[in-house]
Amino acid sequence: MSPPAFPATRFDGVRADALAVMLSVEDGRLVVAATDGAVLEREPVEGIGISEPFANAPRLIALPGGATLEAPDGGGELLRALLDAGMRVSPVVRLRDWPAAVALALAALVALLAFAYLEGVPLGARWAAFAMGPRLEQRMGGELLSVLDAHYFRSSGLTLSRREAIATRFAQGAAAVAPGTPYRLEFRAAGPRVVNAMALPGGVIVLLDGLVEFAIQEDAVLGVLGHELGHVVHKHGTRQVLQSVGVGAAAGLLWGDFAGSAASAPVAVGLLRYSRDFEREADDFAIAFLRSQNLSAEAVHGFFVRMRDRQRDEIGAIPEFLSSHPSTDERIERFRVEMERR
Amino acid sequence: MDSESLLRKRYADSSDEELTFLARQGFTYVAWALLQEEMTRRGLPQPAPEVADVAVKTPYVSQPVFTGAGGEYFRIWSVNLLLTLSTLGVYSAWAKVRKARYFRNNTQLDGHAFDYHGNPVAILRGRLLALVLFTAYSWAFAFSKVAGLVTVLVLCSAGPWLVMRAQQFALGNTSFRGLRFGFRAQPRQAYAALLPVLVLWLSPAVAGVFMTEPWWLGWTVLGIPWMHHRLKAFQRGHASYGDQAFTFTPSALRFYAVYAKGVGFVFIGSLVGGLVLAALFAARRGADPIFGLSSIESLIYGGVAVLFMYVMAGPYYAARVQQLVWSRTRLGDVRFLTVIKAWPLFRLVFRNAALTVLTAGVYWPWAAIAMARYRIESVRVESAAPLATLAGGIQAAVSALGEGAADAFGLDIGL
Repeated sequence: MSPPAFPATRFDGVRADALAVMLSVEDGRLVVAATDGAVLEREPVEGIGISEPFANAPRLIALPGGATLEAPDGGGELLRALLDAGMRVSPVVRLRDWPAAVALALAALVALLAFAYLEGVPLGARWAAFAMGPRLEQRMGGELLSVLDAHYFRSSGLTLSRREAIATRFAQGAAAVAPGTPYRLEFRAAGPRVVNAMALPGGVIVLLDGLVEFAIQEDAVLGVLGHELGHVVHKHGTRQVLQSVGVGAAAGLLWGDFAGSAASAPVAVGLLRYSRDFEREADDFAIAFLRSQNLSAEAVHGFFVRMRDRQRDEIGAIPEFLSSHPSTDERIERFRVEMERR
Repeated sequence: MDSESLLRKRYADSSDEELTFLARQGFTYVAWALLQEEMTRRGLPQPAPEVADVAVKTPYVSQPVFTGAGGEYFRIWSVNLLLTLSTLGVYSAWAKVRKARYFRNNTQLDGHAFDYHGNPVAILRGRLLALVLFTAYSWAFAFSKVAGLVTVLVLCSAGPWLVMRAQQFALGNTSFRGLRFGFRAQPRQAYAALLPVLVLWLSPAVAGVFMTEPWWLGWTVLGIPWMHHRLKAFQRGHASYGDQAFTFTPSALRFYAVYAKGVGFVFIGSLVGGLVLAALFAARRGADPIFGLSSIESLIYGGVAVLFMYVMAGPYYAARVQQLVWSRTRLGDVRFLTVIKAWPLFRLVFRNAALTVLTAGVYWPWAAIAMARYRIESVRVESAAPLATLAGGIQAAVSALGEGAADAFGLDIGL
């Protein structure tokens, strides 16, 4: 009894025209015969390269001599004959054809992603930020400040004595809660209604005139500076940069081919959660800072209440998941509790 | 569908300018068939051709067939993704090869499938190189001006060569009917074609370092269609199949037209989308539709609308570019056309985007398959003789140029 024969096309690799052939598997060898029965090749099954089997695609077989075969193999009989003859299949292909493994892979994928997002990326960024030399961070911060100076900031309009008073009181507090942490306090001004302070990588803290004026009480300014010092101590600026790289890479991997722009939306929303965590951590630090200086949280509390009112008048409420800071109500509540603790 | 009716449908679908473009190509078989058809439509008598050379035979039209299936690709995709994530990206090179094989093996033209032969180790090498360059470019200016300028210089001097190698790798590792495609550009040609593009592309970043408000550099935006055209002309003009060379008829103006349409489309669409969204939300709260919204709310709704339009406009624009590029590409006497209609494409893209979002990304493999099927099956290959007959005259390339290069490292530039 002769073994079953399978119709195929043979390309010699030199010319593009096709030759109709019949394939059969005999004694561990793949036999290629012309339609008149003349045997063209008789290759050991282990020596041939075969494409990963896909349901609707033909089998593409590379012979050692440079010729290729294309067999429709709709029923998969040729593949089975080759497997029976001892052809090896990659374990990855076997994984693909085993439904339980695919389900497991999906579950593992979701777990892995969730873990990376909740724990892995923040931990990795934290480790890298603290392992990174201070000079690299200072360089990043310095470069960022020079860009901001060129495009956005003006020099501060506060009197020298006012600046010195704030800097001195802040230095006392910093020495108490974060001894040995290098920082640099910079006074700047931006637009008249810009109420802000920020911590750049490398320990630069920028305080804008708008905030000092809006705060009225100097204790509130110190509370905000304590918050920024918290960012410096925890290296939040550097960690933020590193986390955005990590989440961006993962999102690109998942959805990158679909639409690069759509991939960036989950990244932006995903990063905000990290940012809110950082803000809460910095608020903790601000409270510790105030306690060390025996200052009441009342001024900071009042500051946030007035900020909230102003924000509502101007832009309306922002849903929390779209915000880089914890909701103002949540922060106000924390400082109110702290205020009443004393 | 037989080749004749395909062709008739194709011409019925063509715009006036496309028909005129074809007619201007001289009296080839395409123009002949067009002329015949148009004359029949107007009821003109058809005289016998006086020149026997004007191929009276109808051109042969082949439509590629895509046989991929979403369920099958889903299994490959999920295993690929898991292995890639758990090896911290190292497996991505192997995943890329499996994916490329899946799409090429499932693309058949005239009954024969395409194949991919990329070496995963070479792709991994290429990815590491790309990672280093990309990281350097993204962060160099954050560290110092000198580091940034050095990176720009490195990019300019290596860029054209890298694009050339990427194209050699992609084409040199694709085969059809046992023969490889190829890319035969010399480094000299790569620099002549791409160095001006790179300089224009990077100039805003460089100028931004030295000047405070280089607003006037916005004009480089106007150069983007020109840059895209130059890149495509380079990539297509030097491609080959066996010993046959592809040719590309340049037309920068047409790229400008495609870009203008795309930009106008995004602008109008996002305006309408944003207003509708705002009106919906405001109506629910009983406020004035437009002025009743706080500024932050209108920002959010407008942003959602723009994002939506962007997701929709991206594939539309890609399809139009595909159509334009293919209509300008030829392989000897073989001509390529793309039949893409706006509405069916939109329905497909909308369905893909909506289901992908609703299933938190799980639908993605089905979406990718549906998109590939649409794009591949919209191509028509027109030839004077059956493709199988033409194939008899095509041989493997004799020159080994680019063959060794195809194995060194596989860059994966998504251009």
